[in-house]
Amino acid sequence: MKTWFHSWRAAVRIARRDAWRFKGRSFLVLAMLTLPILGVGAADLTYRSSELSVEETLTRDMGRSDARISDPELGGAPLYQGPDGNGYRPVGDFENKPYPEGPADLEKGVPAGATTLEDSTGTGKLRTSYGLLPTEIRELKASDPMAEGIMRLTEGRFPQRSGEIAATTHFLEAGKLSVGDSVTARGLDTSYRIVGAYELPSDLNTDQVNALPGTFLAPLDKALKADELPGVESSTTHLVKISGGFTWNMVKETNKHGLVVTSRAVALNPPALSDVPLYQEAGESPYDSGGGIEDEEMVILATVVGLAMLEICLLAGPAFAVGARRSRRQLGLVGANGGDRSHIRAVVLAGGLVIGVASAVVGTVLAFGLTVAVRPLMEEYLGQRFEGLDIRPLELLGIALIAVVTGLLAAIVPAITASRQTVLASLTGRRGVRKSSRVLPVLGLIATALGAAIALYGTTLSSQVTLVAAGSALAELGVVAMTPALVGFFGRAGRWMPLSPRLALRDAVRNRGRTAPAVAAVLAAVAGSVAVATYAASDDAEQRAKYESSLPYGAVSAVVDDGDSRDVPAVRDAIQKNLSIDVRADVDRVLVGKAGCRMYYGGEDGCGSVEIAVPKANVCPLWAPDVQDAELEFSAAERRKLMKDPRCEENNDYSGIEAGILIGGPEVLDVLGIKDPAAKTALADGRAVSFNKFNLQKDGKVGIRLIMDSDAAQEAISDGKEAPGEVKSIAAHQVKGDPRSYGAEVLMTPATAKAAGLKTAPVGAYYSTSALPSSEQQQKLNGDLDKLGSSVSLRVEQGYVGDSNTTLLVLTVFAGLITLGAAAIATGLAQADAEADLKTLEAVGAPSRVRRTLSGFQCGVVATMGVVLGSLAGVLPAVALRLTERRSAMEMFQESLDEALGTPSSPYTPIVIPWETLGGLLIVVPLVATVLAALVTRSNGSMGRRAVT
Amino acid sequence: MPRHPHNSPQHGPRPDADAPHASQRPSPLTAAPSPNSARSADPVLRLVELTRVHGSGATEVQALRGINLDLFPGELVAIMGPSGSGKSTLLTIAGGLDKPTSGSVIVEGTDITTTDRKSLAALRRRSIGYVFQDYNLIPALTAAENIALPRELDGISARKARAEALAALEEIGLTQLADRFPDEMSGGQQQRVALARALVGDRRLVLADEPTGALDSETGEAVLALLRSRCDAGAAGVLVTHEPRFAAWADRVVFLRDGSVVDQTLRSSADSLLTGQAADL
Repeated sequence: MKTWFHSWRAAVRIARRDAWRFKGRSFLVLAMLTLPILGVGAADLTYRSSELSVEETLTRDMGRSDARISDPELGGAPLYQGPDGNGYRPVGDFENKPYPEGPADLEKGVPAGATTLEDSTGTGKLRTSYGLLPTEIRELKASDPMAEGIMRLTEGRFPQRSGEIAATTHFLEAGKLSVGDSVTARGLDTSYRIVGAYELPSDLNTDQVNALPGTFLAPLDKALKADELPGVESSTTHLVKISGGFTWNMVKETNKHGLVVTSRAVALNPPALSDVPLYQEAGESPYDSGGGIEDEEMVILATVVGLAMLEICLLAGPAFAVGARRSRRQLGLVGANGGDRSHIRAVVLAGGLVIGVASAVVGTVLAFGLTVAVRPLMEEYLGQRFEGLDIRPLELLGIALIAVVTGLLAAIVPAITASRQTVLASLTGRRGVRKSSRVLPVLGLIATALGAAIALYGTTLSSQVTLVAAGSALAELGVVAMTPALVGFFGRAGRWMPLSPRLALRDAVRNRGRTAPAVAAVLAAVAGSVAVATYAASDDAEQRAKYESSLPYGAVSAVVDDGDSRDVPAVRDAIQKNLSIDVRADVDRVLVGKAGCRMYYGGEDGCGSVEIAVPKANVCPLWAPDVQDAELEFSAAERRKLMKDPRCEENNDYSGIEAGILIGGPEVLDVLGIKDPAAKTALADGRAVSFNKFNLQKDGKVGIRLIMDSDAAQEAISDGKEAPGEVKSIAAHQVKGDPRSYGAEVLMTPATAKAAGLKTAPVGAYYSTSALPSSEQQQKLNGDLDKLGSSVSLRVEQGYVGDSNTTLLVLTVFAGLITLGAAAIATGLAQADAEADLKTLEAVGAPSRVRRTLSGFQCGVVATMGVVLGSLAGVLPAVALRLTERRSAMEMFQESLDEALGTPSSPYTPIVIPWETLGGLLIVVPLVATVLAALVTRSNGSMGRRAVT
Repeated sequence: MPRHPHNSPQHGPRPDADAPHASQRPSPLTAAPSPNSARSADPVLRLVELTRVHGSGATEVQALRGINLDLFPGELVAIMGPSGSGKSTLLTIAGGLDKPTSGSVIVEGTDITTTDRKSLAALRRRSIGYVFQDYNLIPALTAAENIALPRELDGISARKARAEALAALEEIGLTQLADRFPDEMSGGQQQRVALARALVGDRRLVLADEPTGALDSETGEAVLALLRSRCDAGAAGVLVTHEPRFAAWADRVVFLRDGSVVDQTLRSSADSLLTGQAADL
């Protein structure tokens, strides 16, 4: 043991000094080994720092208080809750009846002797210098010691009287405001002065303003309601401070009043599961937040790290081989002085160790630097402040060890090769015939066959993607191992080539020991890229085929989602101003209830909803209101038969406007591309236009049902009856030929609607464009819409736009760079060997450019062999994966046909070879490698004596 | 340790040595072989019927044909001969870097033609020292570390190996070079450090292959003087050289031609041997 240690010490000393002597080569390998450590180390530090302890999370939520009591609006009915306050349910059996509703009395839940602080939140649109900004309004006395830690003041102070607010820094930035400015809320005349700026440490990207309780939400609510607009929806919680903390028993007591408690004491010291009635009596199981890395993710992570290590080994290995070859005489001297094979191995391996350790140290230090440097950016990106740098020494050590292990692994093959040289051959610089291992290709063949078999099994018999992936990975490793043998096949092409490429090819084939790792590195990178590129291209073709346009090509639609009609004219104008509009068709919606009512909010504050009263005979029997479970009530044969019924045809088109009832002029028909002159006539005649013949009653009219009582409607539907509501019948024209209407069911002019007794409100517009909007136009439009503070659903139909082009480009560039790097390293290695041949060539009168061209072709040969083998090895697994997908898609299709649920479309799983990527890799990259290597090689070699080391 | 009777370390350069045959100098070729008293001890190196054939069939080359040689402690033998006569082959086989086709090589009682690779490496660490024409030193190691290398490879602690290396440097009067790297030393200094390394520890056999080939004559003389003095101190040395001038430092000169020993006395002139007119023993 001791002997071993002393001789290794000498080896490490030689390796260390050599690494320093050949700084360029060392730096190259160091960089390759350092980068992953830097990345993974920084990711670990950032991830750990962003994780908060329970205590820190609680402080950010409830400041210095002991608990937060909130009202789940179960009407004050007693409830059971989980220890962390996230899960709850009312006490009792609610299997067949809805949960109770209504507010509870917060005061009742506060234990005796506790002090409380009110915390209310609502939303409003605040007018900033930019436009209208939807903002959270939070009423909390932030200067109270109990609230300390919830908001971090960055400037000024918190509000102390009414008319004052503080705002988050994000709000101030978004609204181009600063402390000292004043803002108003839309619908409220009062102006508020900003007296301070703060941030929410766990939610940096929130637009929020803080006011004293009662100074903002209540006045705003009152003002909005006075204008017949929906009021502010707000929720209130209580922060509670009580000596001795808010115990689990107190929580259970509070639960009796229908309130939920998040308690610091309970969170830090959770009760036994047996003491949680929610789990014991209500039968719920504790919610597992997961948190840890799942097994599958771990496997993927291990695979990625493993493949990255393999790639680095394949790239760095030749660099160590160059080192060993250049210091052949030095190793010979060690041998002459009594070093046996293990000592020679130790010297070369120590090279890997030295650079591995250096990379580990440098990578870890840089990771710290990077983490500290990008911390503000990461905090912004993740939207939360870190609580200091959280260092996990064991994790970092493990990550750093990857560099050491990779360094050692990369040096293993060069070490073994070097130790096999006889001392005499090393000393005299004689180039013996280097035999490549015969075991490795056989192992490779076995691995390839086994991997292919597994992948084949996955493809044909099991449809398991993981099996296909695992089999492909194994086969890939096998091909890498077979590389030396495969390289041999290329040698046969040499006979037909001119001198320089012939020399380069023969040299590469004869010296497989050094060619193979470089070719394998290229192979692995290219195979991975080609596999992903093939998959991406195929997937892209599939998505393109599946794509369904939401409007005619080039058309634009805008719908103000919340139905706040006041914003609509400005939205319509903004679009017209920013895009190249041909036809503009303004669209209104049916308004049910008072002026402020929004779409889809039936049942609240005197607002209702609207639907088309479809005649019962026209409803698909599978979806009829009285059918509870189609699978039980119809046999498969019946279902299959019904699926061919036109009534049961599924339509995924969606207009964004409630019930698809559009109030607008004949321009809507133009934009939607509906060419039916009779439809325009019908509109002019005061009739509606129907786009779906099943909506029509027997008398040719369309019925529009206005529902005011949504609860009664729900009940009626669940009883299999029609929803109660007033039905307005309007004479309608059915469009000929059943053209696509993109979700529109009925169109009528405002006059027709009015005549039928329907109230309307502006909701949006349809446009046809003369030119597709450019990216600049769209950005400008989005900016203008943001200023309006309105939530607008904007659809611009540009046909299918895939995002795989960027992926393919990135992959091509990545594989190209790896190829160039590996080929360059292999060329360096070949050059170190070829000096004697070049001297001979010069001596027999070869022109000096031969040196250049030879070096160029040496580089080109490696690149070509790598990309050819890699492309083959990459296309196959991708094709296998696609075949698996095709198979499982067919199975699913067959299954849904058999079960007759829904109307499946027949699957389309194309296999597309990415010729552009392949072309780039197969032709351009080897060409670039050849030219680059030729350019950087000196054309005249030094005629000096033999190399020093 | 048996010592050459007329060559104690303080005698200085061999040509001026007050040897029994001093009167016959400056022609060292006429020097008598070592006195028999030295041969009473066991030879450090013994070559028995050594043959080496390179290649086979049409490419067959007889590099060595039945060489016999005994080398005793305190003795320096020079090997001369024209190019391709087998000088270097003889040296590499003697040091165990190459295997003979037949015959045996016995180093300090061990037949190295039959030992395994590991023991052979150990033998090179403990018994055999090499000095080549140039680039003898490992560039990444200082002079002291170069000398300590065989000892460290042998598993001696770095501290002890360094102490031995410093002692060796002191013996050759180059203590000031201890912490210099090879590229900071002159060629002569490098060769002397290589000599010190060849004899560090218990090693008694130095195999020097043209150690002065890359040096000017003055520096070459200094290196040879050192080799001579180490042999006088009890080591045994084999010196392959082209130059009769350097061969004059040896106790015996062995002449090789076409793989055979054509003379191993000092009675005939080197020149006549080289031209093929060697006198008989």
